[in-house]
Amino acid sequence: MKAKFSEYLNEIAPAMKELIAVLKERYDYVSVLSSDSVGFTAAISQYAKSVSNSTITTERGNVVRVYKDGLYSEYAFNRFDASNISGLCEEIIHALDSQLDLLKETGVKVYETPVLPDEPIVVFEEMETGSMPENTSLEKLVEELTAVSNEVVNSSEAIAECIVRGSSTHINKMFLTANRDMRQSYVYTEGMAAPIAMRDGRNELSYTSVSGRKGPEILSGLRDKALEAAKTAEELLDAEAIEPGEYEIITTPEVSGLIAHEAFGHGVEMDMFVKDRALGKEYINKRVGSDLVTMHEGALCTEEVASYAFDDEGTLAGDTIEIQNGILKTGVCDALSALRLGGKPTGNGKRENFEHKVYTRMTNTVFDAGNNTLDEMIASVKSGYLLKGMKSGMEDPKHWGIQCIIERGYEIKDGKLTGKVVAPIVMTGYVPDLLGSITMAGTDKEVFGSGACGKGHKEWVKVSDGGPCLKAKARLG
Amino acid sequence: MLDTIIKLLKEAKTDGWEVTDTVTEGWEFYFIRHELDQNRVRNVEHISVKVYKKFGEYLGSASGEIPVSASEEEAQKMIERLLFEAQLVENPVYSLNVPSGETAAEGELPDVRTIARDFIEVMNDLPETETEDINSFEIFATAERTRFINSNGIDVTSVYPSSMLEVVFNARKDRHEIELYRLYHSGTCDKAAMKKELSETLSYGKDKLSAVNTPNLGKCAVLFSTDASIQIYNYFIYKMNASIKYRKLSNWEIGTPIAEDVKGDRVTIRALKTLENSSCNQTYDSEGAPVRDLLILDQNVPAHFVGSRQFSQYLGIEDSFIPGNFAAEGGTKSAAELRKGTYLEIVEFSDFQVETMTGAIAGEIRLGYLHEGDQVTIVSGGSVSGTMTDYVKDMYLSKEQKQYNNMLVPAVTRLENVSITGAE
Repeated sequence: MKAKFSEYLNEIAPAMKELIAVLKERYDYVSVLSSDSVGFTAAISQYAKSVSNSTITTERGNVVRVYKDGLYSEYAFNRFDASNISGLCEEIIHALDSQLDLLKETGVKVYETPVLPDEPIVVFEEMETGSMPENTSLEKLVEELTAVSNEVVNSSEAIAECIVRGSSTHINKMFLTANRDMRQSYVYTEGMAAPIAMRDGRNELSYTSVSGRKGPEILSGLRDKALEAAKTAEELLDAEAIEPGEYEIITTPEVSGLIAHEAFGHGVEMDMFVKDRALGKEYINKRVGSDLVTMHEGALCTEEVASYAFDDEGTLAGDTIEIQNGILKTGVCDALSALRLGGKPTGNGKRENFEHKVYTRMTNTVFDAGNNTLDEMIASVKSGYLLKGMKSGMEDPKHWGIQCIIERGYEIKDGKLTGKVVAPIVMTGYVPDLLGSITMAGTDKEVFGSGACGKGHKEWVKVSDGGPCLKAKARLG
Repeated sequence: MLDTIIKLLKEAKTDGWEVTDTVTEGWEFYFIRHELDQNRVRNVEHISVKVYKKFGEYLGSASGEIPVSASEEEAQKMIERLLFEAQLVENPVYSLNVPSGETAAEGELPDVRTIARDFIEVMNDLPETETEDINSFEIFATAERTRFINSNGIDVTSVYPSSMLEVVFNARKDRHEIELYRLYHSGTCDKAAMKKELSETLSYGKDKLSAVNTPNLGKCAVLFSTDASIQIYNYFIYKMNASIKYRKLSNWEIGTPIAEDVKGDRVTIRALKTLENSSCNQTYDSEGAPVRDLLILDQNVPAHFVGSRQFSQYLGIEDSFIPGNFAAEGGTKSAAELRKGTYLEIVEFSDFQVETMTGAIAGEIRLGYLHEGDQVTIVSGGSVSGTMTDYVKDMYLSKEQKQYNNMLVPAVTRLENVSITGAE
């Protein structure tokens, strides 16, 4: 079925066009992004349940972007009276002028930027979904998630708790300028299960997820994954601390995805090029990884939680090959950074929500698959670890440092898994060294979209990442 | 819209309801170097609603935001849906907060223009040089008015400023340039404190240029003297949260020390109603309970679990609340005394984390000072790891304290025998 576009946005569209027309009398460029995204979250544990009609991307509101004298300014609002557009215009102009007065008083100069082009584009995209969050029977879903939590806890005496959460969002966004009318509607869904094992005062948690640009029907896939995660949580109770050092590693797809995201995802967000905050700017067309490293980034490169038709600045979605056979080809770019760098935007201008500024952001970041099986990779390791489960990561585009916190590692000696488990693991290193050390890549790749990505320590947006199993060398602690 | 929602809730067949109406005025300025990249205004209102329904032995609830632009018909449908969904949530019965009888002056809405101006002036007055300067910064000056109303008659309003400053610092030598990142939260802009903090960070940048790879130290004492130390104290606060206790994710018990054979300082933490210039000085918590000072952890001995009404009642605590500010007491030694012997003082991590449930610590070292007697080596790279369950037995807190927005913590925290993975 098609995800039907918001009636509310269709209703306010004429008034928003009127707003743009009036503001155009004063400003050289005017756009409005309006959102009306709805959804649900159901969270179940052994001790408490909750249901909410919110997710991290549900919102209803608008942001106006205007341009004058080299400066872009924005006004975000959600109280809207279609019968008083002139009043709203006055409010916007007064508020932005008040800010300009302060800037004048404090002697602030403007980082001048050219005006955005505004060629005509019309998009109306209602994407396919299996079902809609608005029509989902939460009664049935709560029963199913409760059953998963209960089954996991009953699967072992060591499992004391299992938190299960499912959420689904129907995204509706409308981007308007004098010449553009772009409207999109799609559904994405994510679910997670976190079994907690306890023994002798030690607690260990494992995590698994499902996600996709699909309807809530995919949440039925959580059960089997949750039972598997329960075994992992129990296994972690006996995990030892790793002996710090450099090891041969095999990363499973979720860990490969974390590396893709932290290593070169953030490193080639080109608003960082504008600020000279990314080393990648100096490495275009230079080697940054082994021949086996090819990495895509874009809303169109896979169908996951960050797969949209256009971004939050009205740029059509793309599929950018950032690294091809180890050579850094290009980065991804929002519209204003593209103007400043003299390039073209790639459809990566995203906001946390209508209240937040646009930055260059990742969408889906994925390594290409290779030709090796996991068995072949394990057999090739003299001494190292098979790394599974991602916890978190942190970027460092200026110095190409990387920090990945990984749930667990399985020891490999002389080409065989020994059964020893270490956890948790901090993987650190220099990005080109890490990517340059990749000598094998698996045939099958997976993409994961249950997490959110911040820029620095804020601005949370939905992203997905993934790839195949990779064999490399890294420092683990 | 708020009046309409309250009218609809009173008419609906609920067994209780809560409404939080937050009106925000935000002024934001984004800079590249010292030139304005973009200016933004936020003028928004969010109304969140929680509806309760009793059924059998349960009290169910469901929550959601009703858009301020919703029609009355739309709002009614949303409330009806929440009412239905509340009956799917089988939680043991508890009661909502009742009026405390305390009154507080609502106060004037903070002036975001003044806050923004102060931040701009601080940023224009830093001791930048040709080799250490500001790469970029973002100013967020926000004034919020939050009104909480519930079906038991609570109708309270908190007015407060909430600000944020993100700064990226550069330092360079020859063709080598490095950066440092900081994100500061506060109520308004304390110009003197902010200038001191920013100037100190600028000096770290110069040191990072001459850093060598962190050696493989094995086990080493680590000193935390920046905002990373907040994560350490959040571990203790998490363990004393009523929800965590009820879910059995904390095995700490009132009156029983949290660790045996403790050689170092013991930890004392209080919830505080106010902390100077904190962005969390709300008079009431998000459930309408008045916030007050409360001893939570006393010399490593749990004194009071604290947290939301629901989980506090499940634990038999009637007068609980969700704290906004915390203070961890200083220890027995001065910061200078803690800076003795061999130790690694880490002032910049990629992202230092303490996993609150397991106590596992982890973080990549971006800048540290390795002290071995009189010799100091500036280091970068590698990581720290270990677990708080071990460190709590041998940790040392400086007498001096330092405030990071809503947290007042020892200025220096020393953990012994931390695992250091080198970068050599």
